Formats: sequence, structure tokens, C-alpha cells
Amino acid sequence: MDLSNESISPAISPVLNALMEKLKPLIDGGRLDNLVDLLSLVSDLVDLLDPPMVEKLAVLFENATATTWSVSNAIRTAKADSTKSEQPPGVYQLLKLLREPDTRRGVGFALKTLNVIGRQL
Amino acid sequence: MSKRIVIVGGGVGGTMLANQLAGKLYPEILRGEVSIALLSNSPDHFYKPAFMYVAFNLFFQEELKRAERSLLRPEITFNVEEVTRFDFPGQRLKTRSGKVYDYDFLVIATGCVPAPERIEGLKEAGDHFYQYEPARQLAQRLSTIEKGRIFITVSFPQTPNVPHQCGIAPVETTLMLDDFLRRRGVRDKVEIIYTYPTTAQLLRNCLFLQRPTGEILPSIFEQKNIRFQRGFTLKRVDPDKKIAYSEEGDEQSFDILMATPPIRAVDAVLESGASQAPNHEGWLPTNHETLQVYGLENVYVIGDTVDLPVSKAGGACHNQAPVIANNIAAEIRLGTTIAVYDGRVQAVAQMGLNAGMPLWYDYQHDVLPTPPTKLGGLLRHGFNRGLYWAVARGML
Repeated sequence: MDLSNESISPAISPVLNALMEKLKPLIDGGRLDNLVDLLSLVSDLVDLLDPPMVEKLAVLFENATATTWSVSNAIRTAKADSTKSEQPPGVYQLLKLLREPDTRRGVGFALKTLNVIGRQL
Repeated sequence: MSKRIVIVGGGVGGTMLANQLAGKLYPEILRGEVSIALLSNSPDHFYKPAFMYVAFNLFFQEELKRAERSLLRPEITFNVEEVTRFDFPGQRLKTRSGKVYDYDFLVIATGCVPAPERIEGLKEAGDHFYQYEPARQLAQRLSTIEKGRIFITVSFPQTPNVPHQCGIAPVETTLMLDDFLRRRGVRDKVEIIYTYPTTAQLLRNCLFLQRPTGEILPSIFEQKNIRFQRGFTLKRVDPDKKIAYSEEGDEQSFDILMATPPIRAVDAVLESGASQAPNHEGWLPTNHETLQVYGLENVYVIGDTVDLPVSKAGGACHNQAPVIANNIAAEIRLGTTIAVYDGRVQAVAQMGLNAGMPLWYDYQHDVLPTPPTKLGGLLRHGFNRGLYWAVARGML
């Protein structure tokens, strides 16, 4: 494109000149080609994305974030509870913890998780 | 003594606020100085904007709900309780089960409910997409109509400068309807008429509640052969003759009346006496900066129940929640509020079945409409299907 072309309005040409000045080092080094190729790749990806693929990716995102969230919640809360007392819990306290419904649900969940991992081996 | 924060309402506003408060006040929670409870009338959380997609057979009910407990941090106590009475001077709530909850800080996040019964004949003859069952009924009708006339109306609250639910929804569904009927191959035999009332918040005789967007709508509608009419304020509907009558004296026939119905606050808020909104609509007098309720001590409001001129939508809650979380934390820690809501709302508008238009506005700026794009549509799709749940958990 000839930037000195008189058809370019006087208001736009300083903008184009400034842009060209910014791009010049990239052009001189032959690196602008990479950026144009990258834009083409991004454009291809947009063309390839369809609603069912976006839905699958979105569900994957939800699963990943929900799992990370639950695990980090559990670790944070357990850490806070475990560090409340300077003494480690005694055997009786551990047994008492086992009697709590939340603990039994959590242990059941952990065992079930291992069970399903086993099924997939 | 421990400060009790009680949030009433398990919609997106209450849920994201509860999670953000639990994060903000975590040191106090650990020391037993603060407790957070959320009360909701349902064990399930619904992604309400998906009801609009249900009307076009694009969402199953199973996909738009999650257990509320699974969206809340474990530090939050969650109880399925419907609040029936607010005792503001006594700083306590009563629930349908007879329980009493005392609070030091209260957040009302009970949303709003469609009230088509407030317009004669609308409940009998009209359809809407703001709840699951009505949206399913509308889907049945839209899937089977072969020819005729679909008439679209929008009813605003009578409280001055308060919008209807989700400002852009009537435009979104009109464009989705056009695409949906084209896909079905019946668009040339079905006439679509989009109408807007004479008074739309501060504007008069327009097609949308903000001027810049309203000005581009005629060209969009003309390209798609959607008819449009200003100054149609729905007054009553004759279900037998299938005619909609306007306050302005017009009458229009229809085969399907796709209406944005009147809305109101929930019963407990209506009966609390805290609202002076006309027409028994129940909007709470809200400090537009701190989001406290005027005239009440230690009470905040988030989402649809405010009387502010911003959209009654999740995109508003998303910006209100951090303000309330910071203000309650600051009241506990510093004895004063510190954060200010600037009226910001953001969303990705669904402009037809495939295109999307990201948008934002605040008290000072209107939406600057941009051309809807495929990428915008995919962004909205990704939000509907996954990102939303991270937002509700307070992660985004």
C-alpha cells in the first residue's frame, strides 16, 4: 500500500504513519510475517470452533474449576481446624472424628473415588 | 460477640456475595467472630437466563440447575428456609418453618417475580420466558406455529426510572425468534411485531431503554423483516379474541403474545413495609452508592429488589457483590462503609441464535452497541455452559 497516496484522508495519514513507524522494526526483521501467520491461525481456530465444541470446553472448564474449588476449600478448612490446637489429636479424638457424618461421607467419597479409578485401570 | 451475617436468597446475587464475604472475612470467621448464613426457599440454584433458551429448545432443565450447597464455600451455613417476615427493628427474620434468625447484618437478595396477573388477560393469553414452566409452554407454541402473528410487548414497572427484568432480553428473544422460525422454514408465513411502551425509564417513544441502542434497532429489525412499533403500553388482553389493547388506544391481534410481564418483589419484601414503591411493586429504597437500604439499620440489598435504574440481571449483581462485601467487612473492621457502586452492569447479549454482543454500561455511560459477532456468540455460549458456575462460586 502506498501511504503517500493522496486518496488517504489527511486525518488518517498521521495515524497510519505512526502505525507504520511502530511496525517498521518488525517488518525489517521479517518478524511481521509471524504475526500475520499467528492471526491466520487464530482465525482458523475461530472457524473451527462450533457451539457443541464450545459447550464441551465450557463443561470441562466447569468440572476443572469446581473440582479445584472443592479440594482447595477442603484443604483450607481442614488446615484451619487442624492448626487450632497445638497438640496433635489423640486416638480418642480421631475416633470421635470418624463418627461425624461429614467425615464418613468424605471417607466414603475418597474410597469411591479410588474404586472408580480402579475400574478405569 | 460474633457478628451474624444473614443473606436471604440463593440466586446469583446472594450466592456470589456469600462466597465473596466468606473470602473477605475469612480471618474473622476462623476466630469465630463472624458467621455467614444463606437462606433460600429452594435447595437448587437456577441459571435464570437459560429460561430464555428453554423457550427455543436450547437448554434442558437438568443443565440449568445445580445444588446450591455445591456452589457455596463450606464456611457458609446454608439452610433451605423461606423467609416470611422481616423484623427490622428487632434485627430478626421469621421463616415458614417457624424458625427465627437473628442478624447483625442482613442482605436481601430475593430477586423479583413475574406478575402477568397484574394485566387483565395477560396470564391467560400471554407467554413469557422468565421462568421454566412458562418458557416450556412458549417453546411448545413456537415449535408448532406454522403461520400467523407473534406480537411482542414489554411492560415496565410503574416505579419511575426502574427497568423491567434484564433490559436487553426482549431484543435478544426477538432476534432469536427470527432465527428460530427461519430454521423451521416458516418465517415467511409468520409475522413478528416488536413493540415498546411510551415510557421506558427516562425515555419516551423509543424502542429501547437506552438511546444509542434504540437508535440502531430499526435498521437491524428492517434487515430481518421484523416489524416494530413505538408507544404500545400493554393495558389488557382479550384471551378469547386474542387481541392486545394498549393504554394509547391501539388494539392488535396475535396468535402468540410474547410478553415481558410486569414484575414485583417477593411477598416477604412486599409485606415488610420497607418499600414505598408505587403499585405495590416492593422495590427497596436503595442508596445507589453503598447499596444499603434507606431507613433501615445494617440492611443491604443486591440484585433485582433494588429501586436503581440499572438492569435487573446477574451482570448487575456481579458488580454489586464486591461493593457490599467490602462495605460489610469495612463496617465490621472500621465502623464505616468504604466502597461505592458506580452502576456498572456487563453482559454478552445474545443477538440471534448465533451472534453475541458484549456490552457494559454504568450510571454515567449508556451501552455503545457494536456489531454482533460469531465470537461474541461463542463467548455467550461458553458463559451459559460453564463460566457462569465459576462466577456464582465467586471465582470470576
